[in-house]
Amino acid sequence: MKRVFQHPPEQLSDKKYWRSLGEYSNTPEFREWLEREFPAGASELEENDWSRRDFMKLMGASMALAGIGLTSCRRPELHLVPFTKSVEWTIPGKFLYYATAMPRRTGAIPLVATTVDGRPIKLEGNPLHPASSGGTDVFAQASLLDLYDPTRSRRFSNHGKESTRAEFDAYIDKLRSQLGAGDGLAFLVEQVHSPTRERLRTELEKAFPKMTWCVYEPALSDAQNYATGVSFGENVRLLPRFDRADVVLALDSDFLDCGEGDLAAARAFTARRRVKSAGDSMNRLYVVENRFTITGAMADHRLRLPASQIPTFTYLLAGKIGALTKDSGLVSLLGTLTAPSATPEFNEQWLTELANDLVAKSGSSIVLAGQQQPVVVQLLAYAINSTLKNIGRTIVVREFPRNRNNKSILQLADRMSRGEIKQLFIFGGDPVYNAPRALALDPDKKVPIDWADLQKKVSDVVRLGYHEDETSAISQWHAPMAHYLETWGDALAADGSYLSIQPMILPLFGGLSEIELLNALLGRPKVEGPGLIQETFRATRPSGDFQTAWSKFLHDGFADHVQLHDRPAAFNAVAAGGPAKQLWSAIAVSPPPTAESPEIVFVRSYAMDDGRYSNNGWLQEMPDPITKLTWDNGAMMSPNFAASLGVATGDLVQVTIADSARDADGQPIRRELVLAAIVSPGHAENSVTISLGYGRPIAGRGPLPYGGDAAADNPPTGDVPGFNAYFLRTAANPHFVVADGKTIESIKVSKVGKKYPLSITQDHWSIEGRGLVREAKLDEYREDNNFVEKCAGIDEPQKYLPSLYTHPPLTGQQQWGMVVDLNVCTGCSACVIACQAENNVPVVGKLQVSHGRWMHWIRIDRYFASAKPFNEDNGEFPQDPEIVHQPMMCQHCENAPCETVCPVNATIHSEDGLNVMAYNRCVGTRYCANNCPFKVRRFNFFDYNQRPVGKKKIAGQFGIYEEYIAPFTEKGAPDITKLQKNPNVTVRMRGVMEKCTFCVQRIEEAKIATHARVGASGGDLRIPRDSFTSACAQACPHEAITFGDIKDPETKVSKLKAADRNYRLLDYLNVKARTSYLARLRNPNPKMPDAGNLAVACSEAKT
Amino acid sequence: MRGEAATAERPLARVPLVLNRRNFSWITERISGVVEDRAPRWWWVCFTITAAIAMFGLFCIGYQISTGVGVWGNNIPNGWAWDITNFVFWIGIGHAGTLISAILYLLRQRWRTSINRSAEAMTLFAVMCAAIFPGIHVGRVWMAWYLAPIPNNYGIWQNFRSPLMWDVFAVSTYFTVSVLFWYTGLIPDLATLRDRATTKIKKFLFGVFACGWRGSNRNWRHYEMAYLLLAGLSTPLVLSVHSVVSFDFAASILPSWHTTIFPPYFVAGAIFGGFAMVLTLLIPARSIFKLHDIITPQHIDKMAKIILLTGSFVSYAYTMEFFVAWYSGNSYERFAFWNRVLGPYWWYWWTGMLFCNVLSPQLFWFRWCRRNILVVYFVCMCVNAGMWFERFIIIVGGLHRDFIPSSWGLFIPTWVDIWTFIGTLGIFTSLFLLFIRFLPMIAMSEVKIVLPDADPHAHSPNGHHPVQAGGMQRI
Repeated sequence: MKRVFQHPPEQLSDKKYWRSLGEYSNTPEFREWLEREFPAGASELEENDWSRRDFMKLMGASMALAGIGLTSCRRPELHLVPFTKSVEWTIPGKFLYYATAMPRRTGAIPLVATTVDGRPIKLEGNPLHPASSGGTDVFAQASLLDLYDPTRSRRFSNHGKESTRAEFDAYIDKLRSQLGAGDGLAFLVEQVHSPTRERLRTELEKAFPKMTWCVYEPALSDAQNYATGVSFGENVRLLPRFDRADVVLALDSDFLDCGEGDLAAARAFTARRRVKSAGDSMNRLYVVENRFTITGAMADHRLRLPASQIPTFTYLLAGKIGALTKDSGLVSLLGTLTAPSATPEFNEQWLTELANDLVAKSGSSIVLAGQQQPVVVQLLAYAINSTLKNIGRTIVVREFPRNRNNKSILQLADRMSRGEIKQLFIFGGDPVYNAPRALALDPDKKVPIDWADLQKKVSDVVRLGYHEDETSAISQWHAPMAHYLETWGDALAADGSYLSIQPMILPLFGGLSEIELLNALLGRPKVEGPGLIQETFRATRPSGDFQTAWSKFLHDGFADHVQLHDRPAAFNAVAAGGPAKQLWSAIAVSPPPTAESPEIVFVRSYAMDDGRYSNNGWLQEMPDPITKLTWDNGAMMSPNFAASLGVATGDLVQVTIADSARDADGQPIRRELVLAAIVSPGHAENSVTISLGYGRPIAGRGPLPYGGDAAADNPPTGDVPGFNAYFLRTAANPHFVVADGKTIESIKVSKVGKKYPLSITQDHWSIEGRGLVREAKLDEYREDNNFVEKCAGIDEPQKYLPSLYTHPPLTGQQQWGMVVDLNVCTGCSACVIACQAENNVPVVGKLQVSHGRWMHWIRIDRYFASAKPFNEDNGEFPQDPEIVHQPMMCQHCENAPCETVCPVNATIHSEDGLNVMAYNRCVGTRYCANNCPFKVRRFNFFDYNQRPVGKKKIAGQFGIYEEYIAPFTEKGAPDITKLQKNPNVTVRMRGVMEKCTFCVQRIEEAKIATHARVGASGGDLRIPRDSFTSACAQACPHEAITFGDIKDPETKVSKLKAADRNYRLLDYLNVKARTSYLARLRNPNPKMPDAGNLAVACSEAKT
Repeated sequence: MRGEAATAERPLARVPLVLNRRNFSWITERISGVVEDRAPRWWWVCFTITAAIAMFGLFCIGYQISTGVGVWGNNIPNGWAWDITNFVFWIGIGHAGTLISAILYLLRQRWRTSINRSAEAMTLFAVMCAAIFPGIHVGRVWMAWYLAPIPNNYGIWQNFRSPLMWDVFAVSTYFTVSVLFWYTGLIPDLATLRDRATTKIKKFLFGVFACGWRGSNRNWRHYEMAYLLLAGLSTPLVLSVHSVVSFDFAASILPSWHTTIFPPYFVAGAIFGGFAMVLTLLIPARSIFKLHDIITPQHIDKMAKIILLTGSFVSYAYTMEFFVAWYSGNSYERFAFWNRVLGPYWWYWWTGMLFCNVLSPQLFWFRWCRRNILVVYFVCMCVNAGMWFERFIIIVGGLHRDFIPSSWGLFIPTWVDIWTFIGTLGIFTSLFLLFIRFLPMIAMSEVKIVLPDADPHAHSPNGHHPVQAGGMQRI
């Protein structure tokens, strides 16, 4: 689809044609003008706001560059053509699609970027590659907004003073000569699996053999890597093959959380839950965890246990399995471990039946230990899998390069504390914010010190950062970092395949990429374009012509000639035994947490990750899949534990962790955090979960652009959303901490007595016995495949009554409809962000969310269900409920209640069955929203797109919410945020109603394409079957949402609608929704003690 | 024996409508005097306060229009809240006036003459206050003309299936007819004021508005026919306008909104609330202007009886709502009403609907209570508040918890909500104060008609003529 940019060839006649007098005379002035015209365009952007003209210039330039991604393979000259002269291969208004990939700590995600006029506006998964198969996750979707973050770093700075790229380059040049063997040189980088970065790093190690290369990822634990290395050898990674697994046990493993990066695994898991008819089988998922995760919400059996008790549980499980299988390896491994001092409280039968089930499915089961669990749990899990003969079948040992020279942040900190590091490069990250506390001992005072003090011991720190954050503030040099959509790069996917990264736009603010900086440090000339990547690519020995292979690499987004190798399955029990014994003793004695001394668990946030997205409004406003909390984190705790503290959701609690170590005054070192409590049914007792990634200050940022004055009345957190759990986290206890009496003296959680405003989008969690989410056990479904009608309560009508009104004829050739399969939806919220990106849905800020005015067109309802009824209004909580998720968007009712009540005909029905909104006609009576039984219509209470939203500081603590003083604020969005907008979707003004349109712009685009192709030939004008889909359906990593033509019985959506689990919501209202749901199934083991408490979402309606 | 004064000698005689045998001259002097004398100090004090409140209310409206509907507490699911509550509240109040003027006129309830003028004025002002809310509650006020059937270049017409559209027509028709009716009734009194005017300007203005009234037989014949016709025209409107307002809810699909009982229930409620508001205004006016002879305890007693009657209708409707919700077998409907009593807004129901609207009017079963001004005033204030609560419970109560529990949410008013409502109270009272200052607050000509003096056959009470001070008995 890409066309090579070709200027018309020069005339071969001897006549010379000229276009201007300047060209004819070819004066120096003219040539200078020619030179100045193009390349200087981007540099003007650094200081000033953008004019339209600047924007057009830059867009033209980047458009040209994006094209060069392919063209330069054949034509090395760089053309930078301003838009005024028209780019030949573009058709105005048509999107261009380029393959790229998003680097992530566990493996990159292959993507396809949609660009228009040279600016990327949407990211989709790369359907050609199995690591995505077309699906994405929230972070991939939202990373687009980071590109257009108005607060991202725009300048080079030296000691806080503004500097230039030239000065920085000169500094790097000079520095190189002073480094010697590199014994004072250190790098602190994030985990990205980039072969080019690895290559340059190796070369750098040759130049500076004594340098230190430290990889730090706050949300990544070394335990799993270490355990894998010990058990299976170096340079491997274990890949679960869920497609082969019938029984899965997740020990504190949130493997369905796509945010961890392995979309393929999550997709394979849900594929095994896709039940077409009663004859189909389904996998069974057991989960043991301390807090509800989206994996736990999908569980067929879930045991809530404190995270610190999971090693004991694993030990007990291994014992049971050892006894059942009489596997000598496992038994002998267990024999070397001392029995745990105390057993956590749970139903013994649960463990027995779980072991029986796992053993019965030997070779087709998986036991997964969460990467935050200690090494010994990983080793035990491997041993169990080995005993069950799963290794090689359901767990594949994949070769994956891992550099042994990587140092941990502790090792780096140790060297820094001793003053051995003179020159430190920090790429990305934000160690001042996210490094563990008490990283090293101060050599003089013998007290633990934090990163900020350590960094001050280094004379020269160069920070390549995306924001000017706290780390930049104490670095000598700060250089702006380029976004991955602005740079050339490469990366490995989670399964080890080799992906390409190509720029969609020139760096907006002149940012550098890591590999450019490493290249400069090597003293090599600046490389324009993909040279560095090509060099790495060449080493993979692509077959045939290099340029063709390179073009294919860029076009496909991955290199299919690079073979992936699996190692033969060999669990080295002997090698594992040593470390297991050694590490077990530390864990076995750890007492179970009590109400007086609870455990504190740190988890990465579903929205902020480890804090890197803290300036991303889409993610800040994305309701957490479990708590439905936006703009904040909090201390999740069980209802009982909250009651024992006397707190409810929104009450502040203080968490105090006292170390056994003493400070200079001989007092125990205390780490304290005041944060809001979140009462979370299904949470383990005596356990408090705090998600990381919140409370991140970014120096010089001021209040967040999207509001979110989180803690006006809470001095500890200031104006930053959420609470910084890194304050509590040490390198010794990065994932959970218990008062073991050795390193930790005590842990205390106490009530503060103040309230904190939380913005939770769903206050009511009981489904009230309504037939909204219909659910059954697999066995029940097999007995009665018509259960959806029976558990519907009154929702399933006896007969459809005639409508009093006339309705527009549904005469369109194609009729659009949607099916959501509740059985595979995990609630991960990728669809929410995808819809927001596609449809220009604004961010409204924390205050507006708390007022119930968020704008998401798709929301994910989360209900807690329990066999034992509970009255939520009386403050009763279900103790050990199940969670069901239900995506809810405009149902496009054929008899739409919203349409009849609009006085101005602003919402009407189209012939192809869409309920459409005419924004221009809408006056905003809100009657349609009132009459919508699904409450999916969203109203622009303020001018969210045109006026600033959120709090503006006036003086000191005093601030004002700008949306409330709209006439006095400047109108118009910042230009940079406009760049993200989808030009095919109206940006709505205040006072109008909006809602899901079934991505009508995509339907129309496909229609136009079909019409253009069929043309006047008079052929079939229908859009080809299943040739496009809505943004939510495209993003869903589990294919839970299916969109298409319901008139054609052969489409995917029609086939799903014909399924027996298909039902429509509130059908008794005669609204005839076009969106329907496939009822949820659970596959409990009937022998388990909790089998009766599952699949109970609509049990009340049933009776 | 009918028509005789109820005295010790004649216990079954009618109580005269105007006490103390006041004659034509006294009535003219007393009522015109209010307009012609200098404004008393209390009037200025009251007017300053109410006008200031009205101005602040207008500021709130301006703020809301310039900034966005978000300055109110409305949200999703509560797309409507105080805005439409206030609209329905004011429209309801606007019912009593026309009912008194039209229906009581047609039913020959002659006691209406003492109160109809101010009740009608109250109607107009209440409808004006009501009309503010549908106007400003929309997201794009400047586009509100889309609701008018104006041909446009888009070729888009209104949606006549929408009850909001019906509302626009119902309320505007009602207002127009009410203005005409009120004005027609004013003409003879304007002529009186014209004739008594002391300045040229007053003479001119009253003259213009009196339309050349001469009091001739021909004038009276035309006037009475016009008044009768307008009364006939207004009567169905009294019933229709609040029925149509109730369709805003009844024609929707929400549990507790979608109810066939709404039209009569709303009309009864409107009359109930409207009479309470008439009494709220007239009881102070009566004392201030010493109108005890014209607005007699008998009037108050009768109005109290109407309040009791309509209050009973309303109580019946409340009961039937619960019964039907239970009887329908519809779990959503049942939940909605259960939630009304026990849900987050439980105290609105217990105080507003149960205590104020159902229980407090029961005092009016007792004559002692109907005759005690303080008790009457207390009940009227209860009903005023109760009817506002009732509308809030219907609107927000229906919206905040409907079909899908995940989208349930509470409504919390902001200061702008509160002050916009208080502002309309200010507008209403300011207009009423202006009215009593500049126009005769009691229909002089009509009151005179019900005097015994107006009856050519009237005799002294000691005479033997059967027609007594109760007035002309032509029926």
